[in-house]
Amino acid sequence: MEYFTTELLTLLFAALRSATPVLAVVLGEAMTQRSGVINLGVEGQMLLGAMTGFAVASVTGDPWLGVMAACFAGIALSMVHAILVLGCGANQIASGVAVLVLGSGLSAYYGTPFVGDKIDTLGNLNHTFVSDIPLLGQFLGPITPTVLLTLLAIPVISIFLFRTRTGLRWRSTGESQDITRNLGHNPMHYQLAAIAFGGLMSGFAGAALAVDYTANWVEGMTAGRGLVAVGLVIVARWNPWYALPAALLFGASEALNLKLQSWGVNISPYLLATLPYMIPLSVLMLSYRGLKASGGGMPAGLRVVFQNAR
Amino acid sequence: MTNATQPVLKPGLRLLAGPAGAVLVMAIIFVVATLAFFAINGREAVSLFQEMVMGAFGDSYSFSETLVKTAPILLTALAVALPARLGLISVGGEGQLYLGALFGTGAVLAAVDQPGWILMPLMLTGAMAGGALWGVIPGLLKTRLGVNETISTLLLNYVGILLVSFVVHGPWKNPNSLGWPATIEFPAGAILPQFFDTRVHMGLVFGIVAAVILHILVTRSRWGLGLQVSRSNPRVGATAGISYERNVLIVMAVGGLLAGLAGIAEASVIQNRLQDGLASGYGMTGFLVAWLAGQHFLRIIPLSVLMGGLLASADSLQLYAQLPKASADILQALLFIIVLAVASLWGRRRNT
Repeated sequence: MEYFTTELLTLLFAALRSATPVLAVVLGEAMTQRSGVINLGVEGQMLLGAMTGFAVASVTGDPWLGVMAACFAGIALSMVHAILVLGCGANQIASGVAVLVLGSGLSAYYGTPFVGDKIDTLGNLNHTFVSDIPLLGQFLGPITPTVLLTLLAIPVISIFLFRTRTGLRWRSTGESQDITRNLGHNPMHYQLAAIAFGGLMSGFAGAALAVDYTANWVEGMTAGRGLVAVGLVIVARWNPWYALPAALLFGASEALNLKLQSWGVNISPYLLATLPYMIPLSVLMLSYRGLKASGGGMPAGLRVVFQNAR
Repeated sequence: MTNATQPVLKPGLRLLAGPAGAVLVMAIIFVVATLAFFAINGREAVSLFQEMVMGAFGDSYSFSETLVKTAPILLTALAVALPARLGLISVGGEGQLYLGALFGTGAVLAAVDQPGWILMPLMLTGAMAGGALWGVIPGLLKTRLGVNETISTLLLNYVGILLVSFVVHGPWKNPNSLGWPATIEFPAGAILPQFFDTRVHMGLVFGIVAAVILHILVTRSRWGLGLQVSRSNPRVGATAGISYERNVLIVMAVGGLLAGLAGIAEASVIQNRLQDGLASGYGMTGFLVAWLAGQHFLRIIPLSVLMGGLLASADSLQLYAQLPKASADILQALLFIIVLAVASLWGRRRNT
């Protein structure tokens, strides 16, 4: 029994650590979509963030500078989406894919010299008071700063979104730009901020992955995490609080993948690696009946994007 | 209809105001952006650009390599453009391509001793079935459960790629390949016909024929009209006896089928075996081309050749100028961003 509990807790905390980059993207993308803009480019922004963060950490020797640089890289690339979507009125899906390809190209191009570099990591809670906590200490110890920052972002974002006037206008922009306009505000300002925030969070997510979680840079290392996150936003129903369980779904399937292999389960690692994509898809399938009935909380402005394809 | 208040353009200016003008503006900006990209990276911009054009269209060999790249782009672009006719945004070309290669290879392995006239149709049927399956799943998820097709096709791409990894590392791995994860080489009877001693293969013909047929079907047939009605209003379509659900399944399956053909052509002709990294992004390139063409089937053909040229020239730049392969992705994205921006602004100006 004790063995079972230990294994379960190990799995849960491993899930939390591998879910963190995805959680950050889900939070950012949920905010972007709340303003009525969808951004598939988060995958590319995450890659550029991971590469930039790793490169800056490697060159300066300071991982925190890397994290900051990654955030800026994410914002910078997201501005391409903002210019195309808000400035030119381009289709959001097409623009997102363009940003995705640009981000993966730029990160592969400029990241090549840094492949295989070693960097200092951000550290973790081991050897602090936390690891002395009885029972839980051994699980809390490996928790890293990006995990804590991302978890902290959940209440901050939800207070902003649901308890402030600006958050209210942000949400109303996503429902109908006319409402915001009639109240005397420019909806584009909110959408610009929303895209930039999504860029910040996806850049940060890249750093959480490359600088913190793996301490490594490999071309294409996000492996679709950004795109999974866009799917998980729907599972999370655009609510920051639900983003945590939704992202844990991805983290758990990834942690389970590793765990099953260490338990010697005789399934090909390539089949197990489909879990992080199949499980969110399955949940999407299961939750859609409920989503359909209630509208799922999808911002009305977003529905228009999908209806006006091309 | 002209009236006095409307400015009357001179013929030359009127041309500039049309789509040809937009294309010209896009081309100029793209050339400038490419030169800038080379210059920023400390390269001889102009000579590198010349090298690029030569690498794509310079001689018959370069052009044949361009056409080799054109085939999968063309087929995956059609796989995006057909669902778009119904207002669906499929991003699943990549996964469908992999599944086509997977099922087609499965057929080859199952009938490896058969003569070509049995093996070849089996292989192509398998490929089409595999691609169609990977197209119809998101279609079913959409019609039965309302799952957004953009998200499901994106996720299924990764699953498709991993399934191919699974078979080439596992059950289908060639025991004599010294650990290299790949299937056995395709027998001669399972290699698609090629033209004029080049690697240009039947896949290109499939793509062009499919584009023409789809264009005729969509513009001239009752079914095509039905798609148009369904797209603008599924309810009106339903009252006219057009099933939106059935059409979703048809366009997704047919699109997947075409991408599947691209997959088996890559495995059979280009790689000669099934292995990892089969398509390296043709699916996404196909998506970009379909949007560049405004989902117009015939426009997809020349645009695929252009994009094939871009990829072929990137290959030759990699050889001659040691430019990283990723430069092709960057130039592709630049081209797409410029076209999106110019086309959207142009359309907006015309509408106001």
